[in-house]
Amino acid sequence: MSMNVQPDLDFIKDMKRAGGDTLKKCYQCATCSVVCPLSSDDNPFPRREMILAGWGLKENLLGDANVMLCHQCGDCTTYCPRGAKPGDVLGAIRAYAYKHFGWPKGLANLASSGKNLPLLIGIPAVIIFVFWIISGGMHIPSSEDFARYGYGHFFGHWNFRLLAKNVFFIDIIMVPAFLLAVYASYRGVSAMWKLMVKSSGIDEPLYRPTVNQFIKEFLWPSIVEIVQHTRFKKCVTNADRLKGHLPLLLSFIALLFVTAYSFFVQDVLGIFYPSLHGPISMWNPVKILANIAAIALIVGIGILWGNRSRNEAEGTTTRTFYDWFLIWMIMAVGVTGLAAELFRLINVASVGYVIYYLHLVSVMMLFLYMPYTKFAHLVYRTFAMAFERYRESAYVKNPLTQ
Amino acid sequence: MSDTAGTGAVLVVGGGISGLTAALEAAEVGNDVFIIDKNPSFGGRVAQLNQYFPKLCPPTCGLEINYRRIKDNRRVRTYSMTTVKSVSGGPGNYEVQLVTAPRYVNSNCTACGECAKVCPDLIDDPFNFGMNKTTAIRLPHEMAFPHRYVLDKEACSAETLEAIKGACKYDAVDLDMQPETFTIHVGSIIWSTGWDPYDAKKMDNLKFGQSSAIITNMMMERLAAPNGPTKGKILRPGDNKEPESFAFVQCAGSRDENHLEYCSYICCMATFKQMTYIRERYPEAQIYVFYIDLRTPGRYEHFREKLLGDPKSQFIKGKVADIIPESDGGVTVVAENALTGAKIQQKVDLCVLATGMQPALGQNGKSLGVRMDPNGFVVSDADKGQFAAGCAKSAVDVYTSGQSSTAAALKAIQIGK
Repeated sequence: MSMNVQPDLDFIKDMKRAGGDTLKKCYQCATCSVVCPLSSDDNPFPRREMILAGWGLKENLLGDANVMLCHQCGDCTTYCPRGAKPGDVLGAIRAYAYKHFGWPKGLANLASSGKNLPLLIGIPAVIIFVFWIISGGMHIPSSEDFARYGYGHFFGHWNFRLLAKNVFFIDIIMVPAFLLAVYASYRGVSAMWKLMVKSSGIDEPLYRPTVNQFIKEFLWPSIVEIVQHTRFKKCVTNADRLKGHLPLLLSFIALLFVTAYSFFVQDVLGIFYPSLHGPISMWNPVKILANIAAIALIVGIGILWGNRSRNEAEGTTTRTFYDWFLIWMIMAVGVTGLAAELFRLINVASVGYVIYYLHLVSVMMLFLYMPYTKFAHLVYRTFAMAFERYRESAYVKNPLTQ
Repeated sequence: MSDTAGTGAVLVVGGGISGLTAALEAAEVGNDVFIIDKNPSFGGRVAQLNQYFPKLCPPTCGLEINYRRIKDNRRVRTYSMTTVKSVSGGPGNYEVQLVTAPRYVNSNCTACGECAKVCPDLIDDPFNFGMNKTTAIRLPHEMAFPHRYVLDKEACSAETLEAIKGACKYDAVDLDMQPETFTIHVGSIIWSTGWDPYDAKKMDNLKFGQSSAIITNMMMERLAAPNGPTKGKILRPGDNKEPESFAFVQCAGSRDENHLEYCSYICCMATFKQMTYIRERYPEAQIYVFYIDLRTPGRYEHFREKLLGDPKSQFIKGKVADIIPESDGGVTVVAENALTGAKIQQKVDLCVLATGMQPALGQNGKSLGVRMDPNGFVVSDADKGQFAAGCAKSAVDVYTSGQSSTAAALKAIQIGK
């Protein structure tokens, strides 16, 4: 009798591309699950995930919350007796999951390979360039205008009081990209949640939490934990990463606030008080916060950049496009953002405008590719941490019997 | 000693069970043999065991008869405390420089023990891995060969040295002894340099040295041996508690690219054997064996089956990767049971690390021009007339060491005749 065994070549390729092909070295000693500072007694990982990946059981991995709970501390990799790098393997499984849950499929596939980098940069570059041409704002302003409006007339200016032309153009570029990311994340997280519920055998909970209860009891505590970096602090091998991730995350939160403030003041209040348009004063507390955040962002991502380079040089992790693409994008956003501001302050409009254009391109990339690149951990891990609380809660576990 | 030049004499480096076997095989077919050992006594690791495979004999069983054969054979010359300084020449006419470290006790010694009685200075007994103290002048162990005391001069005060010298009525203590270098001519060399237990302190997560409840498998042999520090009772070092529970940590350093990347071959069998030691003394004790794979080559399979059936023993597939010392003197070992997918935290009174075998020759071999593999095992080189035997060649048991030693002797006697 013969048996036709077909290796799952696509899965192997996906693992290899995201730096996880060392999984074939695993011999299931389970050292990793014990040295992992994040894995729990009832749900240890990554030993189980290593054998699921080795056997090609993708479906089980996609519904496995542990894959997302892993923070890639690297302690498992340090102690692994076989050089199977479980930390990298789980990273690669996450990359596979983001691609699998990604929608639309074409965009998800595009964002997962370094070969597509020209296209990945090219799409937002062309879109913004075309809108720049259409807007009629594509000329270098006089130094007086530049000093007065900054990049506020990048897409030109019209006398339509209710909506500044610049705001209009930025919104028709960024809002769809942002909404697409939100929708894709919603789809992906929902699909992951269904699989997680199914594989944990809790499809039929005792009580179904309301949205409020869900946010209050599961999501919000997870977000608090994320901001406090509780789990990062448990990492030993990659302890230095905390020094980069913490300022980076705080800078994202600060910049989110700054953007919301700017949107409210300029685009809402600005309708009634046109004088509020134009660059915010350097001494405005919000502007000070924005500048601090910009520097924190560059420092944070710089530390992560340095750490990763060093780990790669030492051979403790594998160099992959998946890991670097996010670092490059965030670095590009930070550097172009700060440089655009500097050139505005020294009033060199020609260079400033080009840099501002690149800033818009990098910001759009960050939005557009968020659900498919490593940036997706923002939503997937957050919800996996909420799920971890949920699966232990009294909604699914009868405290009297379990 | 140039009388052996061109006669096909054999140098055997290392006088454990492998070296003794190879030396006797070569000598008993008529070759001159020099056998050296860096330690003050021959017998090697086997002498430290309580029982050894395949028949679970005490080491006296095999070693005594070999000592007898050596004493009766005028072709074997033995040099204890001796190491190789340099090797020159080629197959058939090697010129080897040897160095004998000062023993400070000459051949007048009758092992009467009067010197030890007057010696107040104590050292950690190396034969028992430091689990007890012994006098700085000591007989290496009960069945030491040569049966002669050895002095650790550095550990003694001037008064002690005077007292020791004064106590010896045979004028055997010679405090002015110097290292002695001499040259021999041989046709071939057998490297039977054996193994050292892998240094358990190198596995920081296993906390060896942080709790006296964590011992190595070789320490367990000494605890179980009638001539060991506890006279054969298995007691926890430090507080001498009779342990009620034991954990065996398999692959402690073996099959691990951060430590020894090969399987040390004997540790699974050593654990099964040590389970029998425990059962003889503590029929009610709980035993937990944490393993990756249980490897019991060849006919040892039957031994494994017998112990797998022990009702008070549990075998858990999952490597111990963390050990937590507890305040009551015990330890908690942590592993993931790969069959159930849950972590286990098992509290035990005594934890045995099944540490592996590291080739003892190490870097010395490189400087002497010995062909070695990347793990430090000696690779036989017939063209050079240099052969490996026993655990210098690969991690094996006594039985396989005997085979490879006989093979090495057969090859060595064909060189230079």
